[in-house]
This record gives sequence, C-alpha cells and structure tokens, in this order.
Amino acid sequence: MADYIKFVDVTKCDGCRACMVACKNWNDLPAEPEDFNGSIQSHRDLTANTWNVITFNEHETSDGNFEWLFRHMSCLHCNQAACEKACPESAISYTKFNSVVIDAEKCVGCGYCVQNCSFGVVQLATYKDKNGSEYRKAQKCTLCTDRLEQGLQPACVVACHTDCLIYEEKDLVLAEANKRLGEVKERFPNANIYNPQGIEGTNTIYLLADKPSVYGLPENPKVALSQVVWKDYAQPLGKMMLGATTMAVIGAAISNAVRKDRPEGDHDHE
Amino acid sequence: MELNVTRRKFLKISGAVAATLAVVELGFDDKTARAKAKELKISELKPTPTICPYCSVGCGILVYSNGKDVVYTEGDPDHPINEGSLCSKGTTVRQVYTTEKRITNPLYRAPGSGKWEEVDWDFALDKVAKNIKDTRDRTFVQKENGYTVNKTEAIAYMGGAALDNEETYLLSKLFRAGLGLTYIEHQARI
Repeated sequence: MADYIKFVDVTKCDGCRACMVACKNWNDLPAEPEDFNGSIQSHRDLTANTWNVITFNEHETSDGNFEWLFRHMSCLHCNQAACEKACPESAISYTKFNSVVIDAEKCVGCGYCVQNCSFGVVQLATYKDKNGSEYRKAQKCTLCTDRLEQGLQPACVVACHTDCLIYEEKDLVLAEANKRLGEVKERFPNANIYNPQGIEGTNTIYLLADKPSVYGLPENPKVALSQVVWKDYAQPLGKMMLGATTMAVIGAAISNAVRKDRPEGDHDHE
Repeated sequence: MELNVTRRKFLKISGAVAATLAVVELGFDDKTARAKAKELKISELKPTPTICPYCSVGCGILVYSNGKDVVYTEGDPDHPINEGSLCSKGTTVRQVYTTEKRITNPLYRAPGSGKWEEVDWDFALDKVAKNIKDTRDRTFVQKENGYTVNKTEAIAYMGGAALDNEETYLLSKLFRAGLGLTYIEHQARI
C-alpha cells in the first residue's frame, strides 16, 4: 500500500470550522464552550476533548490591509514522535497508516508525552471510574485510524468543502504542495511547505501562507537526544538486565534446591 | 527458602509459562479486537439519506441510526450538491435528534395564558385548520379597485430549505391559488 498523508493547504481554508465539528461528531467528544477571548477563534488551544482547532491569526499584509490567516491545528503524526519516545509505558505507537496513536489501556496518565510533544498537541483528560475516583489518560487526534482501517477517510477531511484538507498518496500530495506553493507565492511571498525534517517529516504536511513562527509552529522541531537514548537504548537494556537478573535468581534457587535434594549417600560414587 | 521443584515439575512450569506467553504475545491480538469494537459504531448500520434542514443549499446527509438513537451523521458523498462535505452547522445535524432541548410534542398556549402546555397532534392540527378557515373567511377580499384579487393578507406562509422543487410547487399552488395567500416566503430569505 502506498503511503497516504494528510495535506493542509491553509490558503484554501475559509475558517468554517466544519473539521472541528466533524471531529467531535465522529469521536463523540463533549462540547467545550469557552468565553470570548478577544478573537473570533473559538477555542484558545487544543485540549484532551478538542482534537482540532482552527486558529485565526490577525495579519497585516504588505500593503497595509488586514487578512485572516487560518490554520487547521491538530496532531501532525510525526515520523519520529517525541511523545512515543517519552512514553515510559510504550502506550504510544505508530500504526501501519503512519499515524501515532495512544493505547488508552496502557496509558497511566503520567503526562510525559504532554510535556514532550513538539507542538503542544497531546493533553490529559480526567475521567471518573465507577467508584468516583479520578484517573487520567492522554488524548489526541488519532487521524481517525479506525476509519482508515475500513477504507474511509478521516472525518475532518470528509467534511472539508474547500479541499483545504485532503488525504492522498504521499507522492501526489508532495507534487500538489509544490504546485500550490508556486501558485500562492505571489500573494503570500513567505509561503512555505511545512514538513520538518528534524523529526523525519510529519504525516500532516502544511502549505503555510507565512513563516511557521507566525502560526506558532516551531521552525525546526527535534526530539531531544536524551529521549532517543532513553527509549531506544536505555529502556531495552534495562528490560534485558531485569530479565537476566530474574533468570539468575530463579536459576540459583533451582540449582540450590536440586543440590539439597541430593541424598547423602551419593558422596560414595564421586 | 526451600524450593521443592523436581525436574518434571520444572518442565511443567516452563511449559505453562511458554503457553501463556504465546497466547498473550502472539496468539491473541487485543489491538485488532479493540479496533473492531470501535468500528462497530457505524459498520453494522444502514445509512438513511436526508437533506440538511438549515440553509437553502440543500446538502445531502447520511444518517446512521440503530433504531433507538442517531449514532452518526456525515455528508453524503453521492449527493451532487455537497459531494460529501458539510459546513460546521450541517455537521451538527445529529443534535437535532439527540439534544435534550428537542420538543417532541406540540405545545399550545391558549389566548391570554402565560404558559405552554403539551397537547396531542389531533388537537393541534384541528386548531390550525380551524384558525386558517376562520381567518380566511373573516379577511378574504374578492375585489379591490375594480380588479378581482381573491386574496387574504392575514395569513403568511413560510417554506423551508429542506423542501425540493416539487414540494415547493405544490405548496405554492395550495397557498397561493388555493387559499389566496400573498405573503409566501422562504426561511432562508429572512
């Protein structure tokens, strides 16, 4: 199967917020009303129950006019995901669709992924069990992996009526992104394709109308070396050591027991 | 600590551990089992096509219901107008059914009364029919400035965006030609 990725052409977005509602509708997430906070952006930021938000940037053009810069903000599904590296329980994994998903049953709500996500996407949701005590789970966009498994497109992509969001084969998307970049360059001189290579690219590629920093995106996100060492070397080594220790203890106990079982008279044959 | 493990016992225990590991690690993939459970949300359901009730664009919507509740709604990919996409308002159409604010019975506020009370459909329809008849009889104008007009200006009719061409034709015919209404409007224009 060819690699499919999500493409967000922000220059086509008209800020209708259908993707936000479609996400809530598919994932059965509760509404989170917020007070007016000085902008017509509906929610200040992503939360554990709001997996995508359209950000509204007030922007002054070079000739002094006003315009909105919209961005469909959700999980980018990094190819080298800091959240996956940070997770001590190995609850976060990559699927065959290259999406990064959290296994709610393994998640213990420690929040390391929240602290380490390069884009501030992962958040903790608080739930109550049947005894009334609270527990927490990390939540974020799943790229509708359950829909992808059935050959359906992500809910936000289906809802988008301007084709700002598309889910297509990677090669086609990259070609389309380059074509669109040429087309919008005149109107948006700072336009660029956002596919940060410091984390080996993402599975959501943006065509941004201005520099990433204007949209609050890091120019060149990276996974900290300490995390890579921790996840890819220290943790497996630790597990191996734990296994070796366990085996040594069991082995010693058994050999000890076997030696004790030996009858006294055996000494004669030695 | 004394551990009484004979060789036979040791082999038995190792075998049991290996079998358990095989089931847990290889044989039973709990991830796919869970993924299937999630997908049940719509995979067993037959969608019912409908038209969005909000603006006059008239987008097609697929409604997935399980007989008791509306589980999911999505733009109809085969509909020529929206081709699967929807606006943020149309995407919320599931809440028309699921919201606790939904009114499920006709409400009647008697003249002079300050509160609404639930009535049955027969009462409501009879009341509407009677009021239309009374009002029309009372206000009907046959001639105006020497011209035959056959009209009443005391009743207005408002159509909705979910009506199609044929329905609007029939409704216009009923209210304009049949009852003589002149105020015929459409919800999306006001």
